[in-house]
Parts: sequence; C-alpha cells; structure tokens
Amino acid sequence: MDNINTKEYSPESPSMKSRLSWLWSEYSVIIAFIIIFIAASVMNPRFLDINNQLNILMQVSIIGIIALGMTVVMLSGGIDLSVGSVLALAGVISVLALNASGSILIGVFTALLVGAFAGFLNGLMVAKGRIASFIATLGMMAAARSIALYIAEGGSVSGEVSGFTAIANNNVWIFDLPVLIFFVMAVLIYIVMHKTRFGRYVYALGSNEKAAMLSAIRVDRIKIGVYTLIGTLVGVAAVIETSRLNSISSSSSGAQYELDAIAAVIIGGTRMTGGRGKIIGTIFGILILGILNNMMNLMNVSPHLQGFVKGLIIIIAVVFQKRE
Amino acid sequence: MTSQPFVAMNQIEKSFNGVPVLKKVTLEVEKGEIHALLGENGAGKSTLMNILGGVHQPDSGQIFIEGKQVNMANPHISQSHGISFIHQELNMVGDLKVYENMFLGSEIRNKAGFLNVEEMCRQTREILAQLGVFLNPKEYVRNLATSYKQLIEISKALLHKSQLIIMDEPTTSLAEHEVGRLFELMRNLKKSGVSIIYISHKLKEIQAVCDRYTVLRDGQLVKTDDMQSGNLEEITKLMVGKAISQERFVHEHEFGEMALEVEHLSSPGLFKDIDFTVRKGQIVGFTGLAGDGRTELFESLFGYRKKYTGTIKVKGKAMKITHPRTALQAGMGYVPKDRKENAIIKDLSVVHNMSLSSMGNFERLGFIQDKRELEKFSSYKKALNIKVANPRITIDKLSGGNQQKVIIAKWLEADTDILIFDNPTQGIDVGAKQEIYQEILALAKLGKAIIILSSEAPEVLRICHVINVMYHGEITARFMGDETNEEEIMHYATGAKREGEHIG
Repeated sequence: MDNINTKEYSPESPSMKSRLSWLWSEYSVIIAFIIIFIAASVMNPRFLDINNQLNILMQVSIIGIIALGMTVVMLSGGIDLSVGSVLALAGVISVLALNASGSILIGVFTALLVGAFAGFLNGLMVAKGRIASFIATLGMMAAARSIALYIAEGGSVSGEVSGFTAIANNNVWIFDLPVLIFFVMAVLIYIVMHKTRFGRYVYALGSNEKAAMLSAIRVDRIKIGVYTLIGTLVGVAAVIETSRLNSISSSSSGAQYELDAIAAVIIGGTRMTGGRGKIIGTIFGILILGILNNMMNLMNVSPHLQGFVKGLIIIIAVVFQKRE
Repeated sequence: MTSQPFVAMNQIEKSFNGVPVLKKVTLEVEKGEIHALLGENGAGKSTLMNILGGVHQPDSGQIFIEGKQVNMANPHISQSHGISFIHQELNMVGDLKVYENMFLGSEIRNKAGFLNVEEMCRQTREILAQLGVFLNPKEYVRNLATSYKQLIEISKALLHKSQLIIMDEPTTSLAEHEVGRLFELMRNLKKSGVSIIYISHKLKEIQAVCDRYTVLRDGQLVKTDDMQSGNLEEITKLMVGKAISQERFVHEHEFGEMALEVEHLSSPGLFKDIDFTVRKGQIVGFTGLAGDGRTELFESLFGYRKKYTGTIKVKGKAMKITHPRTALQAGMGYVPKDRKENAIIKDLSVVHNMSLSSMGNFERLGFIQDKRELEKFSSYKKALNIKVANPRITIDKLSGGNQQKVIIAKWLEADTDILIFDNPTQGIDVGAKQEIYQEILALAKLGKAIIILSSEAPEVLRICHVINVMYHGEITARFMGDETNEEEIMHYATGAKREGEHIG
C-alpha cells in the first residue's frame, strides 16, 4: 500500500536494521500470524487438516464481519461497544419478521434494517449529540439487549420458515457460505476504505478532526455513516448467527462479541485513537484469534482458561505495536 | 543600584533546527527592579525566558545568579534559585481548590503524613491579603474570574519566596482596575527586593511601571536602557528596526469585481462590528497582536465557528455560511495557521492531503482514480516547487515549507475565487517564504481575491494592497499598503492610538 516504495523516502541508504524494523512495524501482524500458524502445525498435526482449517474460517466469520466494521469505526477515532447487543436485537426482530411474513428476504432485510438503524442512532449521538463514542454505544449496548430480552421474553426465538438455515449451513465448493460472505464483505470494505472518498474522509477524520473539518469535510455525516455501516454489518452477522441454529437467544447471543471484534482490530495494528490501520491487519487479527481458540480446543485446554490466553495475546500485541 | 545584578545572562546563544533564535544576548536584572523585555513576535523573548526558566538549554553562554554561575538544566533548578515563571496561559487546575492549587507539589503535611489543610488555608489567606484579595481558599478555581487566577499565580510565586518573577503578558486578561492593582502589587514587590521581568506589547503599561528595558530584534540585543531616557516612539522604532529590510512585492494591477463584502460582523467576546471588502485580484491584509481576534473572525467567515451575526456577501450575493463545506461551495478557501494542528493530516500521504478538499475532481463512477491524483500532484509539484521524492509518503515527513505548499495546492485544486491565508509563512525558512509570497501574488494577478492574516507587520507590508489593523476584536485602522509603515501599524495594534470611526 502506501509504503511500498520505502527506498525512496529514506534516501540515506536504509540499513538492514531499519528495513527490518519497517517490515515489522508495517506487517507485524502477518509475521505474528505466520509464527503462530507454524507453531500450531508443529504442536498438533490435526491442525493442518483441511477440515480443521475450514472450521476455523467458519468460526471466525461472524466476528470477522463485525470486526471489519469495528476497524472503520476505530479508524474514525471511535469505538462501538453495542455490536453484541444489536446483533441479538436484530436477530430477534428478524426472526419475528421472518415467521410473520414467511419470506426469507424480508427476514434478512429486517436484520439489516434494525442493525443499520441502531448504528444510525449511535452515529447521531456521537456526531450531533457530541457524546463520547464509548458512552453512547455503552448506552446502546444496554438498551438494545434489554429490548431484545423484552421482545423475546427473556428466551430464544426460532425460525419457522424452511430454507432459512441454508444461509449459514450451505457450502459453495468447499467453503461454507458464511466464510464467503465474510470474504465478500472484506473486499467491499477494503474498496470503500481505499477507493472511495468516504474511506479517505474516515482516515482524515480519525487522524485530525479539526483539519478534516477545515478541509471542508462534513465530519458529522461521515461519523453517522461510519456507525450506520457497522450497524449494517452487525445485521449481516445477525442473519448468519440466527440461520446457523435457526434460532437466536435474546440473553446470550452476541455476548462479548464487541470484545473479540475490538481485540481483532487491535491485534491487527489499528491505532486506538484512529487515523491509522488496515483492513488486512484486522483479517489477520481475527485469524490469529481463531487459530488460538482452535489450538486450545485441540489440546483440550479448559474453556475457562481460553479467555486468559486471549487477554494475554491482546496485551502482547499492543506492547509490540507501541513503538511508533 | 547594587554592583552585582541578581541575574546576569551572558552571551546566550540558541538555535532550533539550525535556525539561530538568539545571538549572543546579554540580559542583567538588578535586585528589586522591574525590567521590561520588549520585541516583536519571534524576536526571541520567550526563548530567552525559557532558558532562564530551565525549559531550554542554551547552546552557549552563561547564567549567573547573584554572581554565581548556575547550570539551569531543568525547571526545578531554576525554581530552587527563586525564579518563578508566570505564563501567558495560566497553569491552574480548575477542579482543585484555591489553596490546593497554591500548594500543588509542595503540600504541607502534619506529623501523621496527612494534609494539613488548616495551615495551608491560613497561609493562602495571608498571602492573598497582601495582594488585597479576599478569597475563600476553599473556593474551586474553575469558579473564579481569569483575573483572580492571574493573582493566584502571582501569590504562588510569592509563596515560594521567589526572588525573580517572570511575567509574560500578564495584563491580556485583566480589566483596567485590575491592571492598576497588579501594578501597585508589582511596586510593593519591588520595595521588598523582588525583581520582575515584564514581557508585554503594551508600551504604555511598560512606561508606567518599569525601571529599565531591553529590546530584542531577530534574536539580537538592540538596546538596554533606563525607562526615563527613552520615549515610546523611539522604543517602537527599536523594536521594529529602522530600515525596512525588504522591498514591497506588490505590483499594481487592475482589480476586478467585488468578491467579498462583510458588514457588521460580530461575535460576542471575539470580534465586533467588522466591515471590509475584497475585490478580485486584490490582496487584503489583517494584522495585530495575539488576541486581536483576526483568526476567530476568519474561522467564523469560513464556517468553522457559527455564533456570529452580520452579513457576508460573496460576489454580491448574501450567504449564510454554516460549515466549511458551504464556505467552499460559496467559493472560499482557507489555509489555516498552526499547520500541524489545523491543516495537515499527518497519517495521510502527500497526494491524499492535496486532493482532500476536492475529491470530486478525481473520481470516476464514485471511485477514486489514483493515477489522476498522482498526475495532478506532479503538476503542482512542478508549479509550486514542492520538494518530495515520493509523494506517497505521509505528509509529516516533509519540511514545514513543503507542507505548506501542499496545503496551498489543496486549495488551488479546490479552485476557489477567494483564498484566505492565516500566517502563511509560520515556521518556514526564508527561501520557501519568498516562493509562497510569489505564488500569492501570481494568484492575485490571476484574479483571485486574497486575504492574508499575519502577526508580522512586515509580511503584510510587503504583499498587501490594503492593510487592516486589529486590536481587541476591532479594526482600529485601515491603510493602503504603500502608505504606512511598521511603526504606525504598531501604534494601532497596541491600542496606543485608534482611528475610531473614520477608517477607510
């Protein structure tokens, strides 16, 4: 991307050391991924099994889709804590719409709409209400979960339309459909961030909001757009989540998804304060999390300890990326 | 006076990034003296004081306190020698109480190690009373008026038993009667043997209270003398420098139609009743001292600030400008001051900074055409002589002058009829300065209406057709560019003189 021609901008003959440090600072997440991947294959031969590999991809696809949106939000200098709750809310309402209408299309469309609307409200609070994104989305997190619980009376709702489960359980060639949806979304978000003015404005806003505004950018609209975008992606994730088991739980679905999504973005090297980071980084970040989970399952590590390992990895990632 | 000065700074030299800021400056302050330190913006006053305060280290030269050489390696050493620095921006913690601010970092504790609040309050009350201020020490500082905060800063200096107090423009936030009280206090301090270095632009005040003065210009010592022996005219001349070093740049050419008319523009506390016009091809300058409101005025005009009243007409049409975007659509461009905070986006590449305000020029079917951006940039690179090998590196790797040229390219690409430049040559070396002036003149010749804001009077004198001088949010004088000089501008900028109603 932007720094491929490193030779030109450091004319005083880049030493081997400075080149290595550049490679590390730009692509540390990929290097870390490769190291972890090799370590995993050595530690357990079953890891390299193609079915296991596809399984990892399947497992990360839902969080992956959310993490793409989270990358955009964090590039703009914000954060969205409401994704898990909004996923539950979008799932519950879309199942109700699905059952009432009998149309899969309406079900899917409802999920996207609910997600987008919740995101739009977040954006409105952040941009127009000038509420810190942490606070605004924390409020949305509590409110959306509560409404989901109220609608579903605290329990789960199940789909009654045959064919809905196909979305998450069908394959195209060897790939599960959710994996392909994740890839398509990743390509779309990549294009939006690097080939459209919206993406350019998001980077500008996250890097220097006042300068962005003085460059005649409608900062408020970009912020609202950013939160609406992640809301819509959460809607997509909600469809997959619901379709997988043909039901959604108002109390437990989506719980702590925000943490995994934020972890993936941070491991992927996006700066917490915005303006700097890459979609590619987030994809490798989510893959690292997926491999770690998979390894711990294969090696029969207690599920209670998995959070500990995840926490450790996040902190290590941030420590290494701190050298700017 | 005593034979040995309290502080002697001897042959101080200092440069930043190879640019010399102080050249062999010598300053002596006697015990119990109020010494005025004078000079224009950028003359080196703050650098000199920061060296005395231990914030910067001199490249060469010595500092003596009561005859003993001292190495001011950090602010702590400076403080331990009884030097207090009261900055223009007050360093108060609003969420702490008065006495807590007074004793911040040197709290009094009782034997058990807990804070001795009563003792601190008692001492606070005592010192404030010396200044004739009666405040509850347990009041929160955020609830106080700025002038009280200023007095608390001074009390803090007294509390630390300071021998020398440096005051950097202390009266900017004070009302008339408070200034009087401050002066009385300064005279009392003087009697008790405390020395004061007083930095201000307001010559009248200086005459009223100071014993001696030192004038700096371009980092050099111009003159040190007793206050009585100099008159204000003469001191102004010393500050400005007699010979106007550079030729006027402006070439006369025909102006076009009216581009911008501003009538009765006011914003409470920032500026009031501003009227001016700019024609196509005309270069209009605004100058004044810090706090004159010119930046706020043009930030409002550009839609960054919204709380203002009055009318703005662009090409004869009244406009309501509520956002920089509407300003751009109306045909205004704005190169702000403080490039790092307001203009450059340091994580974006040089090319992307250039295209930021006119993305529409580079899009096809909604997608950005990288190639078109690069092509356009290389044409600006040539036209403005931007020195960069690879335009894909981030903009913060460029020198100040090249960054500024990229920002100018950004607004040229937006192709607006009116261009506002705020301190366009701030932190830029001499060569790049000339290039930027030439570019501005070329733009005026092309028929753009140009507005230049500058804290440096010589700058507007060199390139403007019309010069407006501002003081405390008002335009106090308006001159033709070739009919005035720095001294005259200084008189109006310091509020020493005002033309009042009959400007224009």
